[in-house]
Amino acid sequence: MAYTKPIPDPEEYLNKPFWDGCKEGRLMLPRCEDCNRVHFYPRVLCPYCHSDRIDWIEASGEGYIHTYAVQHRAFGGYADETPFVTAFIDLKEGDRMLTVLRGVDPLKPEDIKIGAKVRVEFEAASDEVSIPFWRVVE
Amino acid sequence: MPSNPSMSAAIVGAAESNKIGFIEEGTTATRLHLEAINNVCKQTGIKPSEIDGVFSAGFSPQLGEHLGIHPKYLDTTAVGGASFVLHVHHALAAINAGIIDVALISHGEAGFSARKNRGNGTNRAGADDKWSVGNQFEVPYGIAGQPSNYAHAMTRHMHQFGSRKEDFAQIAVTTRDWATLNPRAVMHSKETHPFGGPITVQDVMDSRLIAWPLSLLDCCLVTDHGGAVLIASAEKARSLRTAPVWIAGAGESMSHWSMLEMEDFTATSARASSNTAYKMAGMGPGEMEMAMIYDSFTVTAGITAEMLGLTPRGEGPSLWADGKAGPGGSGIPVNTNGGGLSFSHSGMYGMMLLVEVYRQLSGTAEDGINGLPGKQVEAKTAVVNGTGGALSTTGTLVLVADD
Ligand SMILES: [Zn+2]
Repeated sequence: MAYTKPIPDPEEYLNKPFWDGCKEGRLMLPRCEDCNRVHFYPRVLCPYCHSDRIDWIEASGEGYIHTYAVQHRAFGGYADETPFVTAFIDLKEGDRMLTVLRGVDPLKPEDIKIGAKVRVEFEAASDEVSIPFWRVVE
Repeated sequence: MPSNPSMSAAIVGAAESNKIGFIEEGTTATRLHLEAINNVCKQTGIKPSEIDGVFSAGFSPQLGEHLGIHPKYLDTTAVGGASFVLHVHHALAAINAGIIDVALISHGEAGFSARKNRGNGTNRAGADDKWSVGNQFEVPYGIAGQPSNYAHAMTRHMHQFGSRKEDFAQIAVTTRDWATLNPRAVMHSKETHPFGGPITVQDVMDSRLIAWPLSLLDCCLVTDHGGAVLIASAEKARSLRTAPVWIAGAGESMSHWSMLEMEDFTATSARASSNTAYKMAGMGPGEMEMAMIYDSFTVTAGITAEMLGLTPRGEGPSLWADGKAGPGGSGIPVNTNGGGLSFSHSGMYGMMLLVEVYRQLSGTAEDGINGLPGKQVEAKTAVVNGTGGALSTTGTLVLVADD
């Protein structure tokens, strides 16, 4: 079945290792070689110490729900999927990502637990691009 | 009289990005900006954390976010190629005024690479740049417009402080009460809009969900609107027949641009911008007799009330509890025009805050606008706060009526 929702056009410089990793089913995150902190989204300069020495690590793919919302109005391909849950994920390695949260009931928002453990999975949106999504695992 | 800005500031460093010209392997505007910033910081020894003013042609909050800094002066004046010369002028004024010490003026533009990159990016900042942070990491998850963003802040506030959807709903109810006294308000009455006139907390709760926990009546209107204000020197202001409203304090700040970088979903940079404004004014939140608070959503107003020091932390909606911020209420009047929720909100609501606070503090509200009379509060002081982006940028003013 064709993927109808927005497919990012991978940025070829700063974000390339991230999108390459997604395609291989690996969550790659930028880490500063000077202060060792992980950040997301990828930067030219580390947002914590402003070093320009940024390396990439393969992350555990584990995280926790920081906050969430239930989208009842959306556009494009997402319009057909309402309601759906979006969430900001605290990555185990540090910093955050946004996701459409899987494994939850959008009609019972009160049952979703902030702090619940989530795991990353990848969906091939096209031959070129795989998109990471997070699923509640507890 | 303010002092003459001549000689009050100097250019202290200048650098370029690592590569310039025809960059065959390609690059982006963001990279060009950041490389040049990194290089000028290394040249001068000025750390990015010391930069307290960011000037660029339309890219300043993105640069602030990329650097992870929270500047107190933002200028994105974009008037074409001359913009950066103007930025020098603006920075001089800001420095002379004692508002900032270190101004960054930055430029990055991938004119050659933009063609090479199939038009993806990035010659400019913004949503139409396919390689923007939003298009890479937000849009693929169905984020569409600010309700889908702001709802996450409300969920976190409810989790962290035990606030309830009903508490935020009261903000919409009280704000509507003000709109019923303002004939220019879209939601003034059943005559002005089929769903106009007074509403209840239950009405808000029962309105359809837009992005849980935000319901329709938690969200601002989307209208057409125009407005303008004039500001004059003290001498000039005293010579005019209109009543001056004095700018006692002003401040601005930012915490992030994309919500991905909002560290605390229950706090905004209105804390910082109001601290600056109160300090400049030599006044505190307890001396504010009315407030105009940007209410793109009920949660925007609720959180901002805390940041402005008008309520304790975690209790922002209590400013409106039992209608006390409404007409004849026991608290200070808030959003006396009916707010973005019920008066008018065209997308960028900041001008409406300014027009209303002028009308109230100048005592001209009863004179009306466009032939339609308003109402009047007795306030002699006001705090005004505007919020932009995804709870990202804020500006705060402390205003005082002429005595
Ligand atoms: Zn670092």
